[in-house]
Amino acid sequence: MQVLIQLLITGIAMGFIYALVAIEYTIIWNATGLLNFSHDKFILFGAYMFAGTYVLSLGLPPVIAVLCTIITMFLFGIVSAFVIFNPLSRLSTNLFAVIGTVILGRIITEAVRLIWGPLPFSLDGFLKGSYKIGSVVVSRSHVIIILVCTLITVSLQLFFKFTKTGKAMRCVSENKTAASLMGVNVSINIALTVGISAVICAIIGILVVPIFNVELQMSSMIGLKGFASGVIGGFGHLPGAILGGILLGVVEIFGSMIIPSVYKDCLSFILLIIFLLIKPSGLLRDRK
Amino acid sequence: MENNKESKTILELKNVTKRFAGLVAVKDLSLKMKERTIHSLIGPNGAGKSTVINMITGLLPLTDGEIYHRDTKISGMKAYQIAQTRCSRTFQNLKLYRSMTVKENIMTGMMMDMHQGFLPFMFDFKKARQEDKAMNEKADLILKFIGLQELSNEYPANMPYGKQKLTELARSLMLEPSLLFLDEPAAGLNPSERVEFVDIIMKVFESGIDIFLIEHNMDVIMNISDDITVINFGSKIAEGTPEQIQEDPLVIEAYLGDRYKKEHGKGGRKCLK
Repeated sequence: MQVLIQLLITGIAMGFIYALVAIEYTIIWNATGLLNFSHDKFILFGAYMFAGTYVLSLGLPPVIAVLCTIITMFLFGIVSAFVIFNPLSRLSTNLFAVIGTVILGRIITEAVRLIWGPLPFSLDGFLKGSYKIGSVVVSRSHVIIILVCTLITVSLQLFFKFTKTGKAMRCVSENKTAASLMGVNVSINIALTVGISAVICAIIGILVVPIFNVELQMSSMIGLKGFASGVIGGFGHLPGAILGGILLGVVEIFGSMIIPSVYKDCLSFILLIIFLLIKPSGLLRDRK
Repeated sequence: MENNKESKTILELKNVTKRFAGLVAVKDLSLKMKERTIHSLIGPNGAGKSTVINMITGLLPLTDGEIYHRDTKISGMKAYQIAQTRCSRTFQNLKLYRSMTVKENIMTGMMMDMHQGFLPFMFDFKKARQEDKAMNEKADLILKFIGLQELSNEYPANMPYGKQKLTELARSLMLEPSLLFLDEPAAGLNPSERVEFVDIIMKVFESGIDIFLIEHNMDVIMNISDDITVINFGSKIAEGTPEQIQEDPLVIEAYLGDRYKKEHGKGGRKCLK
C-alpha cells in the first residue's frame, strides 16, 4: 500500500509538471494563436540561468536565485514577445510562425551550449531529502513540486478570473479585434502573456533540477509530454491542461509497474495517439 | 428629432482614402456628423461602407486623409486608443466571446475602467470585491435596459441570432460611449426582431449616445436617420436628410431604384411598427 501511495505522489508530482507545461502551451496558444515549440528551451534556459549563473557562478542563496531567475525570464519573455512572437503571430500562415518558434528553440539551445558549456552538472543538496508520513516516504522535491504547482495553478486561475490583466488576456485569447475595441492594448497583452509563460517555464526548470541533471536534453521529454497533456485535457482549455497533465503523470507511473519502465514514455505517446484518434477535442474541451 | 444646424460636429472625415494594393476601396471621402443625430452610411454591396467604419474605429489604417472625433484626431491611433475616446461599435459578423456568458461578455466592455491588479487583488481583496460588485451592478442595469436580464447566464451559442446581436450592443454600451457605430445591426434578423432592435437603438439614442449606422434595410434607415451619406464605389454620391436622399436621382439610379420611391413615402423618424 505504501508503495502505491508513493507512486501516486510521484505520478501527481510529474503530472503537475506536465500540467504546468500544458498551461504554458495553452496561454501562448490562446494569446497568439501560435504553437510555441520553443517552450522546452525556455525551461532549459530557466534551469541553466538558475543553477549555472545565479547559484553556482554568483553563489546566491536558492530563494534569491529563484527570484532573480523569475525576473530575468520575465524580461526575456517580454523581449521575445516584441521581437519574435508578435511579428510571428501576424504572419499570414501559421506554418512559418511554428517554424519560427522551432528556430528560436535552436537558437536558445546553442546559446545555452555556448554560455554554460555542453557538460551536464547538478546542484548538490537543492531540494534533496525526503519526508516520512507514517510509513510512507515522500521525496522532498516531489512535495515541493506539488505545492508550488498547485499554488501557481490556483494563482493563474484567480489571475485570469478576477484581475484586469487576466480578464484582458482571456478577451485577447478569444477575439483580438473585439478586445482591442474594448480598449485592450493587444500587443502589450501578448507580451505580458509571453512574459508570464516564460516565468512558468523558469519555475518548471527550477523544479526539475533535483530530478534531472542540468543538461541540454533535460527538458525535451517534458516539453513533449506537456503538449500531450494539453491535447488529452483539451487544447486551449486551462482546467483541461491540468487534468491532462495529472492523468498522464499518474498513468505513466502506474504503467511502469506493468510494463518495463524504459517504455513508460511510449505509454504517454500511445495515450496521446488514442486521444487524437478517439477524442481529439480532449477531456474537457467540448463541455460548454 | 429635427436636425439642428447649429449643433457641433462629433465626427469628421476629411478626404479619407483607402487603397488595397491597386484597388481603391474608399476615395477622397469627406463627411461631418452632427452631435445628437443618427447618421447613416448607405450604399450598394462593396461600396466601401464597412471599410469606412473599420478605418474610423482603427481596425484599418488610412491611406490618406484625416478623421476627427470631436476635436481629437483619431486617424493614426490604434483601435484600443480610439476606444478610450469613448467610441464603441458592433459588428456585422458578431465578435462575441464564446466561452463567456452573456453577462461576462458584457462586463468585458468595462475593461478600461477596471483597476484590479493582481497584487491589489491578493492583498486588498475587499476593494477588488467592491469593484467587482460595481461592475456587476452596472452590467445588470445594461442587461435590463437591453432586455437581456433573463439570459444573463446563457452562453451566446445557445441563443437566437437576434439576442446575440443585442449582447454585442450591450457590451458596446458598457464602454459608456459618446459615439456608437452599428455595422448592419438589422442584418439576419426576422421582422419582429428587427422592430425590437430598432426600438432599442432609439432608446440608446435617447439616452444621449450619438449613433453612426451602416444598414441595408431601407425601412430602418429612412425611419430612424437624421442624416444620410450615400457612397458608391468608395466615393460619396449624395448626402442629406432621408427626404432629400429619396429624391436624389443619383441615389435612385445607383442604389434605391425607382420602385423604392414608388412603394415608400417620404422618410423621417417614425416608428417601424
